[in-house]
Amino acid sequence: MSTHPENQTARALELLDNLKADMSPLKEYKHIGVKGPRRIDGLAKASGQADYTMDVQVPGMLYMRFLMSPYPHAKILKMDTGKAARLAGVRNVLRFDDPEVGKEEIIGKVAGFFGSDRPLSGVAHMEGELVGAAVTADSEAIAEEALALIEIDWEERPFMLDPVAASDPAAPLTFPERYIDGNHWNRGAYDELAHGDVKKGFAAADKVIEFKFSRTANTWVGPERPCGVWKWNGDCPEIWLKHQRVHLPKSRISQWFGGIPMNKIQIHSLYQGASFGGWCQVDWNLGPLWCAALVSKRTGRPVKYIFNRREDFFGGSMDEGVYFVKVGFNKDGSITAVEATLYQVNAIWPVFNPVLHLHDNTTIPHLKGQCKSIWVNKGHTVPTRCEMLPPVLTQTMIFDRVAAELGMDPIELALKNDGAMGHDMAWVNEEKKQRGFQVRDSLKECVEKGKAEFKWDESWHKPGARKLPNGRLHGVGFTWAHEWDDSCGSGEFAIRIERTDGTASLLATGADNGVDAENTYCQIAADEIGLRLEDVHYNPQQYVGFYRMTPDSSTNMSVNGWAVRHAARILKEKILESATGPTALTQRGGYQPAFPDTSPQDLDIQDSHIFLKSDPERRMSLADFVRMAGESGCFSTDEFLGVRTAWSEPLFASSYHVQYGAYNPVNPRPRFCRQAHFMEVEVDTETGEIFVTRIVNVNDVGKAINRMSCEGQQYGGSIMGVSRAKFEEVVHDPVTGVMLNGNLIDYKIATMQDLGPVSTILVETGMGYGPYGLIGVGEDIGTVVPGLMAPAVFNAIGVRIDDFPITPDKILKALGKI
Amino acid sequence: MNKDIKNYACPYCGEKCRSADELKEHVFQAHKGRGLPAPEGSIKLTVNKAEYVIRVAPNWTLYYLIHDKLGLTGTKQFCDQGACGSCTMIVDGKPVLSCMLLAIECGGKVIETVEGIAADGHPLIEAYVNNHAMQCGYCTPGFVVTSKALLDRHPDPTEEEIVEALAGNLCRCSTYPQHPIAVREAAGKMKAAKK
Repeated sequence: MSTHPENQTARALELLDNLKADMSPLKEYKHIGVKGPRRIDGLAKASGQADYTMDVQVPGMLYMRFLMSPYPHAKILKMDTGKAARLAGVRNVLRFDDPEVGKEEIIGKVAGFFGSDRPLSGVAHMEGELVGAAVTADSEAIAEEALALIEIDWEERPFMLDPVAASDPAAPLTFPERYIDGNHWNRGAYDELAHGDVKKGFAAADKVIEFKFSRTANTWVGPERPCGVWKWNGDCPEIWLKHQRVHLPKSRISQWFGGIPMNKIQIHSLYQGASFGGWCQVDWNLGPLWCAALVSKRTGRPVKYIFNRREDFFGGSMDEGVYFVKVGFNKDGSITAVEATLYQVNAIWPVFNPVLHLHDNTTIPHLKGQCKSIWVNKGHTVPTRCEMLPPVLTQTMIFDRVAAELGMDPIELALKNDGAMGHDMAWVNEEKKQRGFQVRDSLKECVEKGKAEFKWDESWHKPGARKLPNGRLHGVGFTWAHEWDDSCGSGEFAIRIERTDGTASLLATGADNGVDAENTYCQIAADEIGLRLEDVHYNPQQYVGFYRMTPDSSTNMSVNGWAVRHAARILKEKILESATGPTALTQRGGYQPAFPDTSPQDLDIQDSHIFLKSDPERRMSLADFVRMAGESGCFSTDEFLGVRTAWSEPLFASSYHVQYGAYNPVNPRPRFCRQAHFMEVEVDTETGEIFVTRIVNVNDVGKAINRMSCEGQQYGGSIMGVSRAKFEEVVHDPVTGVMLNGNLIDYKIATMQDLGPVSTILVETGMGYGPYGLIGVGEDIGTVVPGLMAPAVFNAIGVRIDDFPITPDKILKALGKI
Repeated sequence: MNKDIKNYACPYCGEKCRSADELKEHVFQAHKGRGLPAPEGSIKLTVNKAEYVIRVAPNWTLYYLIHDKLGLTGTKQFCDQGACGSCTMIVDGKPVLSCMLLAIECGGKVIETVEGIAADGHPLIEAYVNNHAMQCGYCTPGFVVTSKALLDRHPDPTEEEIVEALAGNLCRCSTYPQHPIAVREAAGKMKAAKK
C-alpha cells in the first residue's frame, strides 16, 4: 500500500468508474445502514440555536427593499425617486438607470441560461418583478415607506399567461428584449427526444388513445425567504447568502466590479430554511445581492435584503404546463408507441422531456417527445424538488389510462412494460451482469412488498365501483418509476484528523438542506477509516473551499458519497503509513514510528484505535497517536526534553467525484432500481373533498446508509406530493395578470391533519451506481406522488380529472354536480 | 408652567424641582437604590425568566422585538401573516403567534421562547432530536414551543390531541409524522420523572 501518486491515480480511476457496480464495498458495516444515528444538527435546530441567513445581524446594517412591478408586462418611461430619497432614514436609492447598474451585465452570464441580464431592470416581464429601484434605509419599514413615494410613468404592454396561446406565432411577444421571433425558447439536450419510429408503433398497436392534461403553477414555499447580507471588509467582501450551492454565487461574485479575487471573498452558507432546488439558481436572488454590494460600497455600511412572502411566490415548479399525449398499445398490455408534447411554462431548464422516463425505464420501442418551453408573463419555473416532474407525471398518466382502457391491474401493466431504453428485462438483466451487479428484479420486489403492506388485491376495484358506509367513494391508485440520481454532478471532500484528540473533521462547503446528509457522510467516513461515529464531525457552514454537490438533484450520495469514501480510504492509508514509518525529520533524525518494525498492511483501525492485526492487544488510540504533536505545538517540548515519542505528520486527505450520469444524452447507464407507490382516497361526492387515508411508499434505494433520512424523504415527499396534487395552485387574474394568492392563507399547503398514515418501505438491491450500490431518494417521492392522486381519484369516482391540482370544484364538475 | 421647573421634573414621581442640584437631592432622598427610570414608550416584560425594560416603537411586533432587538433568533418568521405557527411563543401560558401581536401590547407579560424551553432542559428537545422531528429545521422551534404549551396544559396528550394542537404549524419538509411520536416520548419522560 502506498499513497504514491501513481497508485492513487489508478485507485481513483477505479473508484471513479461509475458506469458499473461498486467493486470494493466494505465487508462489514458498523455505522452504515444503522437506524438512528443522532442528527448532527438536531440539538441546534430543536433548541433554536441554528442560525439561518434571515437571522443575521451585523453592526451598522442597513436594509434594502425593491420596487415591484404592478403590471405583468410594462416598461418604465419616467421615474421620480426624489421624495423617497428625502424620507428620513433613507440612506440610498438605487435606480435602474444608474450608470453603474447600467453597465453591469454579469448577473446572468456565468451559467448562461438564466433570466435577466441585469441586477435592476427598467422593464418588467411579470407582475411583482423587482424592477426600477432599490431603497436602502435604517429599517425595512422605512424602506417600504420610501418605495411607496416613488412616482413612475409606465408603458403597459400586452401580456400572455397561457403557454399554448402564447406559442401561437401571432401572439404578442412576452419578452421582446430576449425573444424577438416568438415566445418559444427551448435550449437543452432533451427538448426533443426520440427512439424508434412512432408512426410504425402506432400502426402496430391494437388501440391508440389521445389525451391532454395540465398542471397549473405551484411553488416551493421555502420557509426561509430568499435573503442575503453584504459587508465589505476593505476590498474583501463578506457575504451571507441563502443558497444551496454557495460556490456558484462566489464564482459569479468574483466577476463583479471589475473582478474580485476568489480568495478575498468570504461567503457564509448558514442553515437553509428549505428551498427545494432550483430557486437558488434564478437570477433575481443574485440581482439583489449585487445591488446590496453596490450600496454597501457607497454607504460604507453592511446591507441586508430579505424578500417578502409574496416575492417568494414569483416563480414555481417546472411541471407547470399543458401536456398532449398519444399512446398506442396492444391487448396484452404492451405499449408500442408514445408521442407527447409539453408546453412548459418559463422553465429555467427546458430540457426535461415528457417522455424521458419512458425512455429510461420501459420497453416502449417507439418514443417521441417534445418540450416546448414557452415564455409567458409569469415568473420562472425551476426544479422544485426535481426537474423530473414532467416525465414522471406523464408516465403516471399514461400507465393509468392504458390500464383502465384494458381493465388491467396497473401493477401488472407496469411489470409488463418494465425495461430500459426500449429494451426488455432480459436485456436489462444482461446489463446488470455486465456491470457487475447482482441480478434482481427491483420493480417486482417493490410491488410485492407494497402490495402486501397496502393490501392491494383487496383494495383495488373497478373505477367508481366502491361506496363506503360513510357515503364516500373509495379509490386506490398505483404508480411507479425508476429511482434517479443522475445529474452530472461533481463534488469534493477532504478529511482532516484533528491534533490533540484524533477526531476527524470532514471539510467541504455546502448547504444543509435538512436531509441529514451531514450525518450520512460521517457514517461513511467512520466505517471506512475505522472510527467511532462520535469521533467524526462535519460542519458544512465552514467555508473551506472544497465544494460538494448539495443534497439537491438526488445526486448527493452518488457524488458526495464517493468523494467521502475515496478521501477516507486515502486518509486511512496515510494514517497507517504514518504509524509505521519515521516521519517529521529533525536535526536529530526522524521520529520513531508508533508501530516500529511493522508495515501499513500489518495494521488496521477500529473504534478509533490503531492495532496490529496479528496481535490486537498492541493498539494505540488515534488520540494518543496524534496527541503529542498537537499538545507540543511545533514539537519543541519533545526536542527540549530529549524525549522522542511517536510523531504524526498532518493527517489530511482530499478527493472528488465526477458523475457520468444518465442525464448525458448518450445515456450510458441503464436504470436498475425502481420505486412503487400506493395511495388510498375517499371522495365526498357532496362536497368534492378528497380524503387521503393512507399511502405506502416503496423505494429501492440500493443501499440505505442513513435509514431515518431515507424514510424522512419518503413520508416528507408523500405529504408534499399530496399537498401539490390537492391544494397547491398559484392563481393569476387573467384580466390583469396579477398574482392573487401569494401568501400562506390563500395558497394552502398540507398540514398535519391533511392525510392519513404513510408507510415507508426500503428495498436494498444494491443496484445503484453509488458507493455500496446506493442510489438517491431525496427528490423521487415528492416528485412521483403528486401524479398518483389522479389514478386514485379516477378509481374512486370513475371520471378523469386531467387538471392538477384536483380541487373539490373539479370533482363536483366531473360528477356533473355543478 | 415655568419652563425651567418642568425640565427638573423627577423621572420617577414627577415631583418638580427648581434646579439640577435640588433634583439630585430629591432623587437621592426619595428614590434611593432604584435603577434608572424607564424612558417614555417603554414596556417591561419577562422573557425566559429574565426581566427586560425596553422602549418599543408602536409598529413593532413581538416577533420583531424578540428576534431583532433582543437577539433571540430561535423564533423564526415563515409566513409573516399568522398562518404557519413558526413564530409561536408562549405568552402568559398560552401559545401565541408573535408576528400577529404588537410588542407594545406585551407590557407585563411573561414570555417563553424556544431558547428558554431548551435552557430548562425540557425533554421535548431531546425527543425532537431522537425522532428526527425536523429536516431543514426552520419551523422546528415553532413546533417545540406549541408542543410545550400543549404539555403544560395537558401533560399526557393522545396522538389526536397532539395533531390537533400542532395542526396550525406548517412544515414544508413535511416532517409531520414524527411530531406526535416526539411529543408522546417527551410526555412519557415527564411522567416517569414525576414518579
